[in-house]
Amino acid sequence: MERWHYHALQEAIDSSTLLVQGNRACALGALDAGVRFFAGYPITPSSEIMETMAYELPRVGGVFLQMEDEIASICACIGAALTGTLAMTATSGPGFSLMQEAIGYATMVEAPLVIVNVMRVGPSTGRPTAPSQGDVMQARWGTHGDHPAVVLAASNVADMYRLTMAAVRFAQRFRTPAILLADEVVGHMRESFSTELIGRYRLTSGDFDFTPSYVHPEMVREVHPPHVLGSKTHPHVTGLMHDETGFPTDDPAKSDQFLRQLHDKIGNHRDELCLYDVKNEGKGRVCIVAYGSCARSARAALRLAEQEGLPVEVLHLYTLFPLPVEIIQEVARRVEFMLVPELNLGQYAREIRKMAENWTTVISMGKVDGTLLTPREIVDRVAELIGKYESV
Amino acid sequence: MSERLAIEELLHAEHLPHLWCPGCGIGMVTGAFLRAVLALGLRREETVVVGGIGCSSRAVGYIDVGTVHAIHGRALAFATGIKMARPEFTVVVITGDGDGAAIGGNHLIHACRRNIDLTCILFNNRVYGMTGGQLSPTMEAGRRASTAPYGQTEPAFDLCELARAAGATFVARGIAAEVRALEKMIRQGIEHRGFSFIEALVPCPTEYGRRNPPAGAVDMLLSDKARAVSVSEAAAMSQQELQGKIVTGILHHDSDKSEFQAGYAELVARVQGNRGTLGGN
Repeated sequence: MERWHYHALQEAIDSSTLLVQGNRACALGALDAGVRFFAGYPITPSSEIMETMAYELPRVGGVFLQMEDEIASICACIGAALTGTLAMTATSGPGFSLMQEAIGYATMVEAPLVIVNVMRVGPSTGRPTAPSQGDVMQARWGTHGDHPAVVLAASNVADMYRLTMAAVRFAQRFRTPAILLADEVVGHMRESFSTELIGRYRLTSGDFDFTPSYVHPEMVREVHPPHVLGSKTHPHVTGLMHDETGFPTDDPAKSDQFLRQLHDKIGNHRDELCLYDVKNEGKGRVCIVAYGSCARSARAALRLAEQEGLPVEVLHLYTLFPLPVEIIQEVARRVEFMLVPELNLGQYAREIRKMAENWTTVISMGKVDGTLLTPREIVDRVAELIGKYESV
Repeated sequence: MSERLAIEELLHAEHLPHLWCPGCGIGMVTGAFLRAVLALGLRREETVVVGGIGCSSRAVGYIDVGTVHAIHGRALAFATGIKMARPEFTVVVITGDGDGAAIGGNHLIHACRRNIDLTCILFNNRVYGMTGGQLSPTMEAGRRASTAPYGQTEPAFDLCELARAAGATFVARGIAAEVRALEKMIRQGIEHRGFSFIEALVPCPTEYGRRNPPAGAVDMLLSDKARAVSVSEAAAMSQQELQGKIVTGILHHDSDKSEFQAGYAELVARVQGNRGTLGGN
């Protein structure tokens, strides 16, 4: 018996704690959330998600496909989604680049879909087995045209499980592609995993009906009526600008209305979509704003800082997009610095600066050498900032 | 009920007239497809037509069954997802030579290899019509295009040879001038359980004919007809005699090869039947 197998796990996690890899936990979360269709293409460091799906999906009567490339993978998922099947794909940077056009299509036709990107150092082939957060802005703006985005970031193995479930929930409720980002290290690390751990980090209030359905009972209002292949309406689905009938339109007023509606259905629900966690709330002069593996370093840095008498709080973001404007601005109003450690050259720090610079100083702390940011590095930077402030 | 009335029921009348140019052959072959759907008595709810991007793919906007206007080159990948999620559906792909053989060429060969139960009708007008007459991978050497103003120097694909070599189990070629024969091929293709590839040669007077004589729609139809030889005629001809000819008819039909979706269903049954021994309990 291999311990990570889904059916083994289903029985075991209720009674004990298991050692599970992040990528496996992602696949298990998807299965628990009702994903029954997976099409993918192998790529490091995400392949274990696909391998787990290849093993498990036939056993639950689902469909697993290894396609000829990442473009075909996401397009097969969209095809399945249009029939009302809950579909997911997983990839890494180079494959994620290939999927961008289709992500725009899924957004345009309002197809629920989950895309997992386990990030490696780029650009190009880069360093396939080294962690990175270099695809944050690609996740937001990778496809062309004005479009909304739902982007989550996992920081540990439990996150890989529950944020995959959250991504499924958001994809269905908002009928849109939902992207889950993980740093390579989050996908590959093995950690204790139990229902208790998952429960401790419950992110969303209330219960959610995970019954796979294209016409989800909890669907938000700001969407066109869903067009499901196989339904009596035998609909037309197109990536052209279209009206509520699903057919193309060149009408300026309808084009404008539809594009704004696509944005509003995400933007109007930030309170639900923006998942975060504040540690040492209201007690910091410096707030470390972090996501993914850096959030774990930030949490450890908080303990170090407390020992060293440095007033720090941590804002751990699970949702990167839509932008968590309200919490960023709330924190910005009370701290002197926002320090943003990231495994890139300040991609998300720029977003925070746009939201927060009226009230605080946003400092980017980027690292792109393929190693993790350590708690010590973060605390040293905090000390430096406070020292600098004291000396002014 | 007359055929004409029923054909109208299969069309979105409110979206007509169509966008194709006068003399275009796409409408003729679309008509053949619709008659095939009627003849087979397919249910509209369980019939899905997927198009890519280009002139021929726009046919999906006029056909009143489940239709998907996908992204450029990926219609077969969409169709693969639809068929695997809903095996009971009849799934047909309408694509062109640019969409299906250039940008989508990789998906075409893999769909052939899998022998998935899809019917792919590739409308080959040997030019990029919608974008303004650029060269296509099926354009014969020496022909002119807006991106080959001095004549193109690449050899052309023989798409039926490609499909057969890649593993398609039903391969046929027809011309718009012989639309009844095409209708029959499409009907047989849809009935065939496995990957069916039907190449339909269609004239594009607007973008191909204007640069390459003969120019007019009728002359272009007649030119293809003059070059057409049936499979049985071709069998008696030498390679030299076949130069410049268009071999039409059913070029390949293999009903024995395992179909992809059925093979997957068997795998699921086998794995689920063995859950006790494979599973983790």
